[in-house]
Amino acid sequence: MAEAFKAFTQEWMDEWKKTINASKEYKEIAKDWEGSVSITVNADPSKNVPEPVYMFTDYWHGDALDFLICDNAKAQTAKFIMSGDYSRWKQVAKKELDATKALMQGKLKLKGDLTYVVRNVKTINKVVDLLTEVNTIFPDEV
Amino acid sequence: MVYDDSLSFVYLGPTKIIFGSGSSTSELESEMSALGCSRAVVVTDPGIIKAGLSEKIVKTLGDKCVGVFSDVPQDTGIDVVNRGAAFAREKGADIVISIGGGSVIDTAKCMCILLTEGGSLANYEGIQLLTRLQTPHIVIPTTAGTGSEVTWVAVIYDKDKGQKILIVETYNAPRAAILDPQLTLKLPPLLTASTGMDAMTHAIEAMTSVQREPMADAMALHAIRLLSTYLPQCIKDGSNLHARGQVQLAATMAGWAFGNAMVGIVHAMAHSIGAVARVPHGVSCGILLPYCMDFNISDGDEDAIAIYATIAQALGVSTRDDEPKKAAMAAVNEIFALLKRIEHPIKLSAFGVKEADIIKAADLSIADGAIVNNIRCVSDKEEVLAVYRKAL
Repeated sequence: MAEAFKAFTQEWMDEWKKTINASKEYKEIAKDWEGSVSITVNADPSKNVPEPVYMFTDYWHGDALDFLICDNAKAQTAKFIMSGDYSRWKQVAKKELDATKALMQGKLKLKGDLTYVVRNVKTINKVVDLLTEVNTIFPDEV
Repeated sequence: MVYDDSLSFVYLGPTKIIFGSGSSTSELESEMSALGCSRAVVVTDPGIIKAGLSEKIVKTLGDKCVGVFSDVPQDTGIDVVNRGAAFAREKGADIVISIGGGSVIDTAKCMCILLTEGGSLANYEGIQLLTRLQTPHIVIPTTAGTGSEVTWVAVIYDKDKGQKILIVETYNAPRAAILDPQLTLKLPPLLTASTGMDAMTHAIEAMTSVQREPMADAMALHAIRLLSTYLPQCIKDGSNLHARGQVQLAATMAGWAFGNAMVGIVHAMAHSIGAVARVPHGVSCGILLPYCMDFNISDGDEDAIAIYATIAQALGVSTRDDEPKKAAMAAVNEIFALLKRIEHPIKLSAFGVKEADIIKAADLSIADGAIVNNIRCVSDKEEVLAVYRKAL
């Protein structure tokens, strides 16, 4: 059984980054991707997420660079800013909800160049796929 | 129909539809009042004014029209939206009424955001960033094909970036669309055929999208029925008001279908050949549609075959008892036949497309966002190139 990581911790982010950088398939799919994506998880005290969680992830031509738990100010500096409720992000992380479908349906929000995202949707899907390979303990499962 | 066991979806169709000959003048004022508005800015373009399509509507509004903004080019841009919003603000407008095609409608959609939220349009580049309803917008379309009157997407050219930006906001869907078939009577045959095939492609691709769902399918199926019956009648006699109206309704239904379920390989390839060789969008959709349908069933995928068999029934060339593969092929052949009946171009080479163009376009197609929704997974550009070659 693979080691389990608590979601939204730096250790979990490090493991996600390691999984991405170990993927040859990702390197090929994401060879043209340039830029950072921040993820905001809205607070949901009923699910053990008492405060919003801000994550900063950076990618460059098939490599994952900085993967950080950060503050709102840092999150706002990303090329793409994504946000949504905890329950939606959990569904995405467990592949119960397609990220692009969630965006179109208003379950998640995205600020940034949507044409770039649309052109690189395979890259986004792969990053999410690789997240599902990380053995994750979610806050409401603790 | 074919749906996953895990089917779950959100269907949105927030735009009220008012249909009828003459409705653009007879119903507009009461729709404005119903929205609690009394000061309209009309957004249109010089072509519409020249064709005399907006004059009667503006006259009908009387004092309720506080201004006409007609400075909208074919591919609208952020600067146009900024000027339009400033104009509307100066006039104290509380509603935007767009009369025209896609560019006019998208300009009006973005003006509504600036009128409500202020600031720069660049702040709203993205998806679902708004949290409240925007300035009311009534659309009066003068073409029948794009479905823009019921979608919540706006495509705007950003001169500084040198590219188009997308703004996707369900809170900014038009509040009402007035479909008056009289306004489409002057559309020339090729434009009627190509915009009609754009609508047919929206309907068929929505049904063969990985995001297909029953509500969108219902819209798509009836759109296919109406288009296959009435589009040829519009070509035969452009003044056939009944046929024009049915095609207009079909385009709106197809707009709802693809607005919810998305599009696939045909649009990926049409976007790409449009970018490389400037082939008009509706024309490239029409030409590529049957070849892409053939591609989608050629690997023997049972889901795709079942869906195309259903489409064949809507096209009137099959019954429920027919063998699915045979019915699916009948759908493909019927689209080829329809193209001939409506005198639509059938080869890309008629628009000067060369082998070098389709090689470039195949590269772009693989990276186009629409392709990921296609029922047949496409990851090899050689597969796309083979389809282009058939359509060349």
